[in-house]
Parts: sequence; C-alpha cells; structure tokens
Amino acid sequence: MADLRRSRTAAHPLGRRRPLTTPVAAGALVRALAERLGSDLRDLWTDEDTVEYQVDGARAHDVLRTLRDDDDLAFFMLADAAAVDYGPGERFEVVYHLFSWKHPGWLRIRAQVDRADPRIATITDLWEGAMFHEREMYDMMGIVFEGNRDLRRIYMSPDYRSFPQRRDFVLPDDAADSSAAGVRPLERPETWDLTRFNQAPGVTFSPSAQRDDAPGEAVTGGETLSSKSRPR
Amino acid sequence: MAVDRPTTGNATDPMPTGGHGPIVIPDQAGDSDLLREFGMDEHPQGGFHGLLEVIPTKADYILDLIRANSLWPLLSGLSCCAIEMMSTATSVNDIDRFGMFPFRASPRQADVLIVAGTLTTKMAGPLVRLWEQMPEPKWCVAMGTCTTSGGRFKRSYSVVQGVDRVMPVDVYVPGCPPRPEGLIYGMMKLHELVKERRGQWRTYVDRGPQRTRWEGDVR
Amino acid sequence: MTGIDPETRIPDPIELDRAEEERLRAVAGLTPVRASGGEYAGFEQVGIPDRPPQTEREREVYTLDEGEMLVNMGPQHPSTHGVMRLVVKVRGEIIVDIDPVLGYLHRGIEKLCENATYTTVLTYVDPMDYLSTMHNEHAPAIAFEKLYGVKAPPRAEYIRALVVELNRIFSHGLMMGFLALDMGGITPILYAFINRDEIVDMLSAISGQRMLFNFFRVGGVNFDTNDEFLSRLGTWRGNVMKNIEMNERMITENEIFRARTIDMGTLTGQQAISLGVTGPNLRACGVPFDVRKAKPYSIYHELEFDVITQQGGDSYARYLQRIAEIKQSIHLIDQIIDKMPHGSVQAQVPGIIRPRPGRAYGAVESPRGLYSVYSISDGGPNPYRFRMRDPSFISLQALPKLMPGRLVADTMAVMASLDPVMGGVDK
Repeated sequence: MADLRRSRTAAHPLGRRRPLTTPVAAGALVRALAERLGSDLRDLWTDEDTVEYQVDGARAHDVLRTLRDDDDLAFFMLADAAAVDYGPGERFEVVYHLFSWKHPGWLRIRAQVDRADPRIATITDLWEGAMFHEREMYDMMGIVFEGNRDLRRIYMSPDYRSFPQRRDFVLPDDAADSSAAGVRPLERPETWDLTRFNQAPGVTFSPSAQRDDAPGEAVTGGETLSSKSRPR
Repeated sequence: MAVDRPTTGNATDPMPTGGHGPIVIPDQAGDSDLLREFGMDEHPQGGFHGLLEVIPTKADYILDLIRANSLWPLLSGLSCCAIEMMSTATSVNDIDRFGMFPFRASPRQADVLIVAGTLTTKMAGPLVRLWEQMPEPKWCVAMGTCTTSGGRFKRSYSVVQGVDRVMPVDVYVPGCPPRPEGLIYGMMKLHELVKERRGQWRTYVDRGPQRTRWEGDVR
Repeated sequence: MTGIDPETRIPDPIELDRAEEERLRAVAGLTPVRASGGEYAGFEQVGIPDRPPQTEREREVYTLDEGEMLVNMGPQHPSTHGVMRLVVKVRGEIIVDIDPVLGYLHRGIEKLCENATYTTVLTYVDPMDYLSTMHNEHAPAIAFEKLYGVKAPPRAEYIRALVVELNRIFSHGLMMGFLALDMGGITPILYAFINRDEIVDMLSAISGQRMLFNFFRVGGVNFDTNDEFLSRLGTWRGNVMKNIEMNERMITENEIFRARTIDMGTLTGQQAISLGVTGPNLRACGVPFDVRKAKPYSIYHELEFDVITQQGGDSYARYLQRIAEIKQSIHLIDQIIDKMPHGSVQAQVPGIIRPRPGRAYGAVESPRGLYSVYSISDGGPNPYRFRMRDPSFISLQALPKLMPGRLVADTMAVMASLDPVMGGVDK
C-alpha cells in the first residue's frame, strides 16, 4: 500500500511526443491475406495493433466471406462496422473491424462507396449482428445496404428526412465548421426576420449576408469542407 | 344507540337554533373556555357556533400539507439522472423520509413527474402524453441540466432544449447529474411550493388567489 | 436564404411553437388500430404505424394472423431499463415476435464529438453508457493516445485499471439487483445501491464528480490518488466480499429466481457470435472472448487472471457470470494495488491536441462487452470522425431471437439478464 501514496514527480519521459511504434508482427497475416485475396486488397497500412486494407465496395461482401470462412484467417467476429463520410463530392467508406484468434491485431477493411449513389451489399447473411450496424449507418449516413431485410431508420423517427452524420449536415451552431473558428455565438442571426426593423423609419440594419461571420454562406456547397485537409 | 352524553342544546326541542341541530363536540363539551379558545362563538340559545366558518380554510391547509408530504413520483427515468434518482430512492439517501418512496408505475397514480435525463424529440411526445395522463394536482421537476436547458447536448439535432418547451416545470434541479442531496433539496423546494400553492398546476384550474403565507403557518 | 441544401433540413431548436409540439406528439407514431380478427377482434391496439410497411421485416412483424395481437411495451415502462419500446406480437400469453423500437434517447453524441476538441470528447462520451462511465472514457483515451503518439505513464495506467475495475463491480452489482427487481424482488436492488453508492463516492473522491466522472485525459488521468479515496477503498475492500456474498445468497438459491432464469433465454455460442453479443453474455455461452486477454490494453498483460466462462448460455448462466466477474475484479484490484508504481499520472500533453492525420481503433472490455472507438484525425483539433461501438446496442438484437415461444412476463427477465443500458443503446 505504500506505493499508493500521492507522489509528485516530474512528467514521465514517455510523455513526450514520439512516433508511432513499429507495426505488429503481422507478417503471417499479411502473407495469408495476400495469398487468399491478392488483388482485392490494396493500400496496406498498419498501426501498432491494426492491419488495414481498402477494398472496392462491390467486392466487400466476398472479401468478408473469405475472411470469415477461410481456416487460416478465421475472422469469426465482426467487432465493428462504421460509416465514414468524406464530404460532398468525395466518397463514403464502410469500415469493418474484424477479430480472429489466429492473428495478433485487429483487421480493418475499408470499403469504398460512391457518395452520389451509396449502395453496398449487406453482410447480415454473414453476421446477423450486422443488422443494427447497417440500420444505424442507413439512418445516420443514408447508405443503402442491398439485401438487408430491415433497412429502416433506427434512431430518428420514420418521418425524419435528413442524415445527421453526413458532413454537410451542420449543427445549428457548428463551431468546427464556422468561419469564425469556434468563437461564433449560439444565435444564428441569418435566421432572424429583420424585415420589420429594416422597414421601420430611422433604423438601419446591415443584412446578414454582408456579415463577415455569416455562417450560412460559408458552410454550404462543400467548398469549405472540401478545402479542408482530410486524411486519405 | 342512544348514548347518554351531555349536550349544550335543549334536549326537548331538537331544533332550537332555527333548523340546525346544536353543534356538539363531545370531548370538549361543557368546556366553554376551550371552545372559545378555538374561536367559536356562544349561541344565545345555547351551544356554540362558528366552527363551520373555520373549517374550509383549515381543511385546504391540511390538504396542502397532505399533498406536500406524500408526493408520489412517477417511475419514469429517461437516462443518466434516473440512476441518481434511484439512488435517491434507495437506502443510502432514502427519500421515503419525505413520503416519496412509492414510485408509481402508472401516471394515473402519480403526483409529481421527475423528468430525469435528456429529453429527445422522439421521446417528447410520449412524455407529454404521460404528463397529460397524470391527474391534477400535479407537479413537474426538471432534474439535471439536460432537462433544464439541454445541457451538454444543447447543440444536438435531436434534443429538446429543456422540458419547459413542452410542459410546465415547477422546480429546476441543476447538475449533471445532480447529487441525490441536490434532488432532495429540490423536493424540499417543491414542498414549499405545494404548501404555498405556487405550483404550475393552478394555471390549468384556477383555485382562487395565490397566497404566499397561510394563517397558522409557523415556518 | 442561406443556400442550405433542402435535403439537409436543419432542425431549428429555438422555435418550438404549437405546431412543432403537435408534430412531436405525432412522431410517437402511436395510432390506434383494431385487431384483424379472431379472438381479439375489436380490441383497440396501439403500436401499428399508420403507414405502409417499409421493409420485409416490418411487414412480417406488423401483419397479424388469426388470434394475434400487438402489445406495446414502452417507451415508458417500469422495467425497460430506460426509454425503449418493444412492440410485442402475442398469441394469448405467448410471444410470437418482438420488434424493438430504439432512438428514444438518441442524443447525437457522435456528431457532437466530431465538433468538440479531443479533450472535450472525453466529457461527451460520459453519459453514453451511464453505468460504465470509466470504460466510456477509456476507449477514446486509448484511441486518441494512439493518434497523438503519446503513452500514459505507468502509474496512470494502473489508476485507470483500478477505477475501471471498480466501475465494473458496481455495474455488475446493479445488474444483479435489476434482474431480481424485474422478477419482483425489491431487496437486492437496495443492497446493490448501497454498494454502488459506496463505490461512486469513492470514485468521486478521486475524480471530483459523482456519476459522470470525467476522469480520463489524453495521456493519463486527471488526479492522483488521495487520502480520502484510499481510506474509502480500504473500508470498502474490507466489507465487499461479505456484502457480495450476502446479495448472492439472497438471489442465487431462490426458488422463484431459479425457476424464472434457468433454461430461459438460452443462447448458443455460435448464435451469440453471429449476433455480435460480447462480454459476459458471450462468456456465459462458453466462448472465452475477453478483450482484456484477447487484445490486452492498458496493463492487463501484467495481471494474472483467467477468462471465466459458464456453460449453458441461459439467464442463470449470465447471472452467475456477473458474480464470478465481480470476484475476479476484486482479485484484480488487489493485484493492481500491490503492483502500483510511483510516478506521474499525466503525460505532458497540450490542452488542444492536433494529432497528425490518421485513424485509430481503441477497444476495451466494458461490463457489457466490447466497447470500441474508431477515430479519424484530419490534423485539426476535432476528430474528423468519431465512432463508438456500444455493446448493449448490439446485444439487444438477441432479444427477438430469444423470446418467441415464451411468456410475456419473461421478456423483462431475459432482457435484464442481457443488461442493456439505453444510454449506450441509443447514443
């Protein structure tokens, strides 16, 4: 119990920023993947405990079935399925994380989906548990999973019309995307009806379109978004 | 069964006071000093009167005391605050001390709605329906910052920014979540509110002028 | 006026006039309809949406055969563990099908996190799975540390493991209480809350906040241990085994409890893996999957413990699994206290972090299973994408598979044994 006492020493040397650790000993996994699914997988990228590949959306279902059923790979568990939006004019990604007893790291499969026509094959025939994942992605991103028996909205009400997780869905006071870089107040002056002030005699009121921090103009059309730096 | 009890009226004439029988208080009968102390007047033909003029106000006061000290909450938790509400109800913090333990599962048996947790747009309809199913008099306590203003989820696309946008609220308890002591303090405030008739439910049924202090209120 | 795409309808939260209120009421979608015929013809039923079915599955659930009717449980129901709605199709007292309707607590946490700085994200994830707050913060902390390339000092990792195991104990204890409560036993929940309040007060002594602790930081924890925490920990450790065993004696051998849990809601291992069930529910089926062993994070590779499994996969096995894990966590806490090193608890990290572009995955074993975070950085101060995989959200899919053929009253008993938390289910 002596070690539990409060101790105030200098910051730990590991605290300094340092490069990511070398990739895991994933050689066996990478070899097996290249052997089984040579041309389908591309853009290998590894982290300290993750091996990552990209696939085409059209091939994702076959790749995942091979990963699950092949005896050497045996990725029997779907750990996560998530959708990522890269903004208007770009693409969607459906990201699957898989787990296997035989390999040391998580396997991440990134399937590319066209943003204008977001369709990808369902994997509920491989893992029943993908059902809620896919319903959530449909609800939040609007990605259509072909073959899914129950593609309804899961969180928002059935009459809701937009897809909140998309990048072009902007929160009412979206600090991150505002031209004022996070210092914008909560109010949205562009929504105020100022006509009665403008028409009143002796009152001058600059229209909201001329304001420098008018957020409505800045966040639409994807110009602000597409000009931002983003990962590959 | 005829009981041989002393009366202050005239036994031979059952209606000496013009249509009304004499008002008899058996225990204190004969103790005129005590009855005078109660504020009753002696009737010229015998007996005392004036008790009925006193009872309506006192009964309201007593009803308010009863209401304030047996506020039964609705067993309704929305999210995180519900766990602290349960903690308030169970052994350690024991809100049973204030007559509040029976968390009623049916809104028709509940007096107070503790909105514990974030109210989303999807849940707003059912919550309003619950509130409208509760019989009057009823009170509403907004527990936690999410229900008072939206709190940390104020910017969200699916959160109602405070339950007072959809229903009247009597007491706001801030905190994320409030400690059980905080909720108990809010309930004490609600007791004051009920006793002074300052609650929101009077906006539905007007029950006379608002009073801030009651006769005989010794607080 | 603003040129916003009409498809992207921004809900205006300021104006909530009467029409909006009417809309909110209509959103519940509870339109009374009448049963199709048979025994229950003429009974007014609530729950069938007044629109054509959108999917195959919806048509299957909401089409009634002779003698069937729909019963609506929730969103306000005393034992749905929060605001969840179950549309139950019954024939008499026997369940035919269940359609869970979620989203009554959807707060858009992922979207809010994408607009918050990395440090603030650790605040936003707190109320998600509100019975395992420490785990909610652990996974993002792991992911962000990977993104930023910083490691927490050893003492911070030990304190993290300590508070996380404490959190697991009270979460499992509450599960035992709720399970008994849903079968009509009130006493266990009172004892469970005594234990919970003891631990929560202890954690508030170290973190400063009672329930949503907000204790983790990128690169460490917020505070070092203090005297009040340690004295409370010592007192609690002296009594905990006695309390747990008392609660256990009260429930485990109870005739009613056994009758309502044994062979009830049985999942096979294969089924559970396919459904994505993780955590104690999966281990109760005999599958030894525990993230602490399978992909060790924090300091779990330094601790000695085995993955506990049960055979059977029914509600009773899930209950026994929780008890065994409580005792295992106490055992882990003893080891952590023995091994805890000196040192700093917080690496030197600026207040606003701007990691290099990249992506990271952090997974922890929460009391309800595999809780993971997938975070993408674009070099800015906010996560470009922040995704949380909540175990109870996925485990809830098992409920419609388990219940057909059972009695309506057993729904709650089986659901409580799966231990979902609606804050995590709906995010």
